[in-house]
Amino acid sequence: MGEYKLLLEHSHDPAYATLAGYQAKGGYAALKKALGMERQAIIDEVKASGLRGRGGAGFPTWIKWNGIPKDKKGKHYLICNADEGEPGTFKDKQLMETTPFLLIEGMTIAGFATQGDAGYIYIRGEFVDAAKALRKAIDEAYAAGLLGKNILGSGYDFDLYIHLGAGSYECGEESALMSSLMGERGMPRLKFPHVPLPTISGVWDRPTVINNVETYTCAPFIINNGGNWYASLGASTKNSRGTKIFSVSGHVNKPGNYEIEFGTSLMDLLEMAGGMKGGALKACVPGGSSVPIMNAQQCDGAIIGYEEMAEAGSMVGSGGCMFLNEHTCIVTFIWRTAQFYANESCGKCTPCREGTKWLLQIMERIRSGGGRSGDIELLQEVCSQIDGRSFCGLGDAAAWPVAGAIKVFRDEFEYFIEHGRSIVQSAESARMLPESPVVAVS
Amino acid sequence: MAAVASETVNLVINDVEIAVPKGELIVESVKRLGLEIPIFCYHPRMKPVGMCRMCLVEVGFKQPDGSVRKMPKPQAACTLPAQDNMVIFTDTEMVHRDRKGVLEFLLINHPLDCPICDRGGECPLQNNTLFYGPSTSRFIEVKRHAHKAFPLSKYVTLDLERCIQCGRCVRFTEEISGDSELAFRFRGASMQPSTFELRDFTSKFSGNVIEICPVGALTNREYRFRARPWDLETKPSICLECSNGCATWFDYRVNRLVRVNGRTNEAINEEWTCDRGKFGHEHYNADNRLTVPLIRRGDRLEECDWPTAYAAILSAFGVGGDKVAMLAGSSLSNEGAYLLNRLFHRKFGSANVDYRRTAHTLPPDEAAGNAPTAIADLELKPSILVFGNSPADDIPIIFLRIRKAWFKHGARVVVAHHGETEADSFADVVLRYAPGTDADLAKGLVAARANDAAGVAQAAAACGVDESRIREAAALLGENTAIVTTDSLLNSASGADAFRALRQLGGELNRYALGANDQGFADLGLVPGPDGRGTAAILAGCADGSIESLWLAGADPFAFGDRATVEKALEQVGFVVYQGTHKSEAMGFASVVLPMAEPAEGDGTYVNAERRLQELRAVLSPPGEAKAAWRIGAELALRVGMAKPYFGAKDVAAEIFTQVPAFRGVAFGDRLN
Repeated sequence: MGEYKLLLEHSHDPAYATLAGYQAKGGYAALKKALGMERQAIIDEVKASGLRGRGGAGFPTWIKWNGIPKDKKGKHYLICNADEGEPGTFKDKQLMETTPFLLIEGMTIAGFATQGDAGYIYIRGEFVDAAKALRKAIDEAYAAGLLGKNILGSGYDFDLYIHLGAGSYECGEESALMSSLMGERGMPRLKFPHVPLPTISGVWDRPTVINNVETYTCAPFIINNGGNWYASLGASTKNSRGTKIFSVSGHVNKPGNYEIEFGTSLMDLLEMAGGMKGGALKACVPGGSSVPIMNAQQCDGAIIGYEEMAEAGSMVGSGGCMFLNEHTCIVTFIWRTAQFYANESCGKCTPCREGTKWLLQIMERIRSGGGRSGDIELLQEVCSQIDGRSFCGLGDAAAWPVAGAIKVFRDEFEYFIEHGRSIVQSAESARMLPESPVVAVS
Repeated sequence: MAAVASETVNLVINDVEIAVPKGELIVESVKRLGLEIPIFCYHPRMKPVGMCRMCLVEVGFKQPDGSVRKMPKPQAACTLPAQDNMVIFTDTEMVHRDRKGVLEFLLINHPLDCPICDRGGECPLQNNTLFYGPSTSRFIEVKRHAHKAFPLSKYVTLDLERCIQCGRCVRFTEEISGDSELAFRFRGASMQPSTFELRDFTSKFSGNVIEICPVGALTNREYRFRARPWDLETKPSICLECSNGCATWFDYRVNRLVRVNGRTNEAINEEWTCDRGKFGHEHYNADNRLTVPLIRRGDRLEECDWPTAYAAILSAFGVGGDKVAMLAGSSLSNEGAYLLNRLFHRKFGSANVDYRRTAHTLPPDEAAGNAPTAIADLELKPSILVFGNSPADDIPIIFLRIRKAWFKHGARVVVAHHGETEADSFADVVLRYAPGTDADLAKGLVAARANDAAGVAQAAAACGVDESRIREAAALLGENTAIVTTDSLLNSASGADAFRALRQLGGELNRYALGANDQGFADLGLVPGPDGRGTAAILAGCADGSIESLWLAGADPFAFGDRATVEKALEQVGFVVYQGTHKSEAMGFASVVLPMAEPAEGDGTYVNAERRLQELRAVLSPPGEAKAAWRIGAELALRVGMAKPYFGAKDVAAEIFTQVPAFRGVAFGDRLN
């Protein structure tokens, strides 16, 4: 339990981002091993590992890999979702910049297991450094015969492409990502059961595996050490295996990426990040801005694991863990979050398009002292009209933080509405406030 | 998303068990039980998108133990395909709450300008709000403000405040018309439909987006503020602006045509209209309509009564034989054309009658049977060759079918034309040949089908198309190909030869007529007999004095003939009857002017390009003393003692059915024999 550096073991070493340095640390042993295995055996190892999607939803990875038709009738594609846009999350950025070969090797293994022809790494547009690092690494891999035709003499061909997004949070949603990759407007597409799963008909209507950066980077370790070994990590939890990188930010002394074994307590994670800065712990958003906020009491006994965090009232999400100290005004924090989602709604469906803006308008009114009795209930109602009704998960993600904060910090909302000002009145608190609205929503 | 009919699945909808085709969308399945799910973005003729969330229903699946496991979230019925054991709930508290929620969301930024909105009274948003919406809004913030009355094009106005972002208009231009001129820009609450960089919306089918818009965001610039829907009367009509014969609704008020909307006819236009059809009916209300007969006295045309006009005409045409002639205009009804044709042949003893306006004509034996493919059947053809015309201009609704054949059923399309056409965008092969080399290209295609390399090379050299292209095109053609040509090919000198060559290509060769009832005239035999003169010869005869009296029955020779030739002909000919709806240049040459009703101002039957016989019942009454074409013919027939009196167009039609072989036994709505 505690910090366990698996993916990030060599991330401090610049040489690890070069092929020679990577191989010196045992890189590409997994691919060599995988190419000698049966395809199904690779998938079975991943199944045994209990690996779940690290992008936020925690879907079992092997099911996606196993869902690709074994009887290949045309091209199969792999997509790496590197559009890391969830506020508070910055793990994929570091992985791509410091351990690009892990991702490339992981995708090649996944590609081999699913008879993939090509992989696309869809990188958030702002991550230019990550794209550059990957470009360099992919070029090296091609030159060394680790990508392209006849990889390592196995007869397996696999091409890897980089695609930079154009700055939309929504494009991190897997179906919107596919639309964007195909050159369409970045809007989500229909999903199962309305249309077949992406593993049957994904990008360009072909079978497609889509996983997060962190998920793919786990694959080499699973192949090298076996699925059962991987599953031994986090064995204390109900159904969370392996390690998870948490991007710790907020009022902590040492913000940064921390890789922990599942089963570690949230407070241990805080300890790793140097503990609270500038005041006592008030709240934590453990898995990226869209997951429900927790108060200090909830944080206290919380164990990091998919089911365990749900019991504690929140989610592991993407691992964007924000700790907030006692000087934080929750109403302002939620207002800022609402602003983000209103700005990032793609506009496709009614609940998200209209609802996120309405939420923001109400929050702005409350923030500017115009709160009215009944506003809390109205916010809750609007959230419930968005949650589960929107076309894709962005609507849910916009509603949860607001509904969650009202549930846990209702008194702060009530106070703000009644008095027209925050319950938190301290010099530190005033310093935290943005000087002007960060993003204007028309 | 046409369902596959062969396999059915069992659904339970609100406790009622029902078998529906597998994969049918739930929004359609519920209709089988007489239920309705409210919708905005869903349109049965376009791919479902699930954007508006109005159609959310609860969905469950029957478990082996007989219980029902509900899905945690409500599902959009418009995108959900029917599966076995599916259980649908459209009437639960949750569904009602969700509908209220979506409508509240849609209304928070929707202006309350229904009292001045064109859509008010026939607005899906109003209707759904009334039936399913909340009675009040809890929204007290500032509404979204955006452009009001932004002119998107000559015909369409966009009110962005009213828009509910359902994407119907955008999808129409992508899926149906294919021009993709509309798209969404910006995102979230600022998302709005727009043309690229706010350029003009130039689609030839732009009017349809007005009708499919579920709010008053897209309105008709011609109709704007002219009426409220509840003030309008409406009757079914047929569009006679071209040969397609689309079904329309004529909305009118106090005997004045106010607007034209598409009416569903699956055989022809489905529910679409082209802009020419939707916005091209202003001539009904024009100021220069003819309302009384006129007769020439010296250099003036003076008002007279009908008997005077008829007497003058009959006396002038009494010479008969080769010295008299008639040109018919394309929107004359079968009845009007039939009676005048009979008058010429039987009474005046003249075969100088014609309706054709092309520069060249086909010999009679080659002209027959020219539309073997029904419009609706085009959709199912594996390959289509468009030859020598721009279908979006000549035959717009047939163009939509050709596009649908490609878009929905994967037909391979070859477009051969000397200019650019809209169909190029989805053609497998585009053959752009030098103008006038139609026949060379057609022969080249035939040669390529016969593996005649020399023939292909020769054709390629003559028409300036790559040999490989010709071969590529020919490889796509076969016995099941529909060849789509129009009479416009006959404006090319080599057009007739091209037809002959195309006939050897196999497949179904269609030569669609261009004028509204041209096909009817062809089937009625409104063409010069062996001793008669055709259009060009008639005009020449007028000019050289061999024809003394000319009857322009709805025809305006200035519209199609060479100006100098027409002017000379009309100046030289002794007596001109101008039977028309509007004042025009040709009227200035008239000896007698007969005011004629527009098609929808009288009863009549028409034959469209695919030889479908359609009945048009009078919607409006004609202005002043104007008369329907059949009545003019009937009154003249009576005057010359030709027949028993006709009391209505129906009597004339009944005679056509017995006298004209092509019409024998044909019911309205069917294609001619």
